Amino acid sequence: MNRTLLIARREYAAYAKTVGFWLSLLAFPLFAVLGGAVPILIKSSEPVRAVAVIEEGPQANGLAAAIQDALSRDAERQQERERMANEAAEKATGMPVNSSGAAKGAFARLAGPRLRIVGTPPEIAAAPPGEARDEIVRRYLTDETPKADRLDAVVFLTRDAQGPAARVWTARATDDTVEDFVRDALRSANRKAVFEGAGIDPVVVENAEKFRPTISVFSPKSVSGGEVSFRDKLPTLIGMAGGFLLWSLIITGASILLNSVMEEKSNKILEVLLSSASPTEILAGKVLGVALLTITVLLGWGGIGAVGLVAAAPETAGMIGDILLTGGMLGWFVAFMVGGYLMYAVLFAAVGAFCETPRDAQTLMGPIMLVLVIPIMTMSMAMTTPDAPVVKILSWVPFFTPFLMMARLPSDPPMIELLGAMAGMFAFALFMVWLSGRAFRAGALSDVKLSWKSFAGAIRGGGN
Amino acid sequence: MTAALTLQDVNKRYGGFHAVRDLSFEVGKGSICGFLGPNGAGKTSTIRMILGLQPATSGRIEILGADDGRRVRNRIGFLPEERGLYKKMTPVDAIAFFGALKGLPLGEGRRRAREMLEQQGLGGASRKKMKELSKGMAQKVQLIAAVVHRPEFVILDEPFSGLDPVNQQGLEQMIRGLAADGATVLFSTHVMQHAERLCDKVVLLARGRKAFEGTVDEAKATSRRFLELEGVIEAGQVAALPGVSNVEIAAENDGVRVLKAHLAPGARGQETLKAAFLGGLDVRRFDLREPSLHDAFIDLTGDNPDQDQSVKPAGQEAAR
Repeated sequence: MNRTLLIARREYAAYAKTVGFWLSLLAFPLFAVLGGAVPILIKSSEPVRAVAVIEEGPQANGLAAAIQDALSRDAERQQERERMANEAAEKATGMPVNSSGAAKGAFARLAGPRLRIVGTPPEIAAAPPGEARDEIVRRYLTDETPKADRLDAVVFLTRDAQGPAARVWTARATDDTVEDFVRDALRSANRKAVFEGAGIDPVVVENAEKFRPTISVFSPKSVSGGEVSFRDKLPTLIGMAGGFLLWSLIITGASILLNSVMEEKSNKILEVLLSSASPTEILAGKVLGVALLTITVLLGWGGIGAVGLVAAAPETAGMIGDILLTGGMLGWFVAFMVGGYLMYAVLFAAVGAFCETPRDAQTLMGPIMLVLVIPIMTMSMAMTTPDAPVVKILSWVPFFTPFLMMARLPSDPPMIELLGAMAGMFAFALFMVWLSGRAFRAGALSDVKLSWKSFAGAIRGGGN
Repeated sequence: MTAALTLQDVNKRYGGFHAVRDLSFEVGKGSICGFLGPNGAGKTSTIRMILGLQPATSGRIEILGADDGRRVRNRIGFLPEERGLYKKMTPVDAIAFFGALKGLPLGEGRRRAREMLEQQGLGGASRKKMKELSKGMAQKVQLIAAVVHRPEFVILDEPFSGLDPVNQQGLEQMIRGLAADGATVLFSTHVMQHAERLCDKVVLLARGRKAFEGTVDEAKATSRRFLELEGVIEAGQVAALPGVSNVEIAAENDGVRVLKAHLAPGARGQETLKAAFLGGLDVRRFDLREPSLHDAFIDLTGDNPDQDQSVKPAGQEAAR
């Protein structure tokens, strides 16, 4: 077996035989699911706050009813949003939404009311305004009161010279849910009163408030040539996801390579390797071995994602498959992955050849990681405004080309731009192979203290 | 004897630092050559040039008929000074891997690895991971990995460092075995006793320059023998004895002196002793000391091989 393949095989086996590798492979999809589910779970597990509403004096008449009305309207709007979300999901997946059990409970809580109005404790209702009443309120908001009778907020409604006003006592100083709700309700009550004062029929005001316009979006670039559907937005989402996936894969692969070379350097294996194979063979073998690992990771993530998507939304899975295969996106993805990986892998390997500890590596990796943040920040901009000059310019920078061009793909950038940036990326990748080869050769036998200056000196000297 | 290795006027500079100066020597096929010198004398730099890992600044190196060690790397076995193997590999896999890099089929490498580990008393360790082995065991495994492909030329850089006396003896036997099988062995060391026991030839290096090239006996012959005498004797009385070139007082206690009488080249110690007794000198103890390679090294170079000569110029690679 040739030396490069031998080194690649050892490199692959060294990682693929460890439990840690497979655990970390599964960790990404697991955390992706958790990342999406946790906020929903937190939101759905939020308690419905028990709120007592008290009108202070005759000038506040009707304000409690306005709060109650607002609460009813809020519940209606939540239900309407849930219905629309279900419709959109059905349209996208082609399957009726039939959530059940815990999921149904969680979504019902998500769409349900955030607060409920409870009867005012007689103690509070009977007490005159002042410090004594505030003391009773404090007691009802803390654990001095049994849990069953405890309140989350007490709202005193009144009316001053400007209009409706409120004093809100809340159990948690940082929770502004009740405050926000009361503000919106009172604003709505005030608007209604102003319009009524101007002689406008209350029914008209109510209908005007309930009105929700129906908006349809059309584009000549949509698949149908007319109305924009979920299918039209899918390529952009895929491009964006592809860009992030590329970034994760390339950085994961290059980091594995960095650690592998660093380990060989610190364990004094590199010198033995160099007596048996050329630096080019070693570098190529290691890059190839880790590339195979990266492909394993990609296939693992892709497989888990595909199975999950086919099971949950077969129609969407079909659309994604169609976009990736017939739209040519998969081909571009592979090309960007090869060029991007090559560029970063050889650079990271060269850095590893100078380092014996992670602390050594930080000296060089710090600035590199700062540069790597730029495409992450720019990718979201590429999704909404793919033709923005900054996005266009940055996508020509070889270090950013794989990620930004991937994100720009759905907006059909000119072919000349696509091919030009790709050619630049591959030319730069080859330059990096040459440059990093010299640095690798020099670093592997060097005991020199690592710095950008010594790194540049090693590249100039090429190990001589 | 045909030369397996020839170095001619080899120089190595790292920027302004001259690590190896005008080095020339030969190693005959099938011989064991000791490459001696203190740490920092230029041994590792020379070895790296021989292997083709670093180019010489000037001069010519020929190994196994090639002018570049890289061209014949499959015929060379190399054990570096600083050693390490993949910690998570088993000895058998590690040996087979390094053998395969030298062109040995993996299956054959595994078979030979098991056989050689067994011979070295490491049969029980063959399934363990490298990180579970003791330092001595790991070094033996690494040496096996360096020679599993049966190289014609074996280069060992400080192979005895870090080994206990028992393992050092075992390693000496392995080196003799390699030479007996026809391999040429070049090993560097700063411990002269190993070279004295093993080498057909030694090359002494000090501060990057060759100080001596020849057999161990030839090296020792360059150093003067001395007679150690203890008794109530005066230095002047001993200096007057035949064959004595100069006298040093090594110790003195209550009028009893220990004197070191250096003998002139070609002088016979027995004649000197005979003259001392016939002259009535009060000698209570005597010892005729042959010079060791260590003594020869000090005489030849003026350096102590146990002292570190390494110089690491700022901003340059370490030159050892």
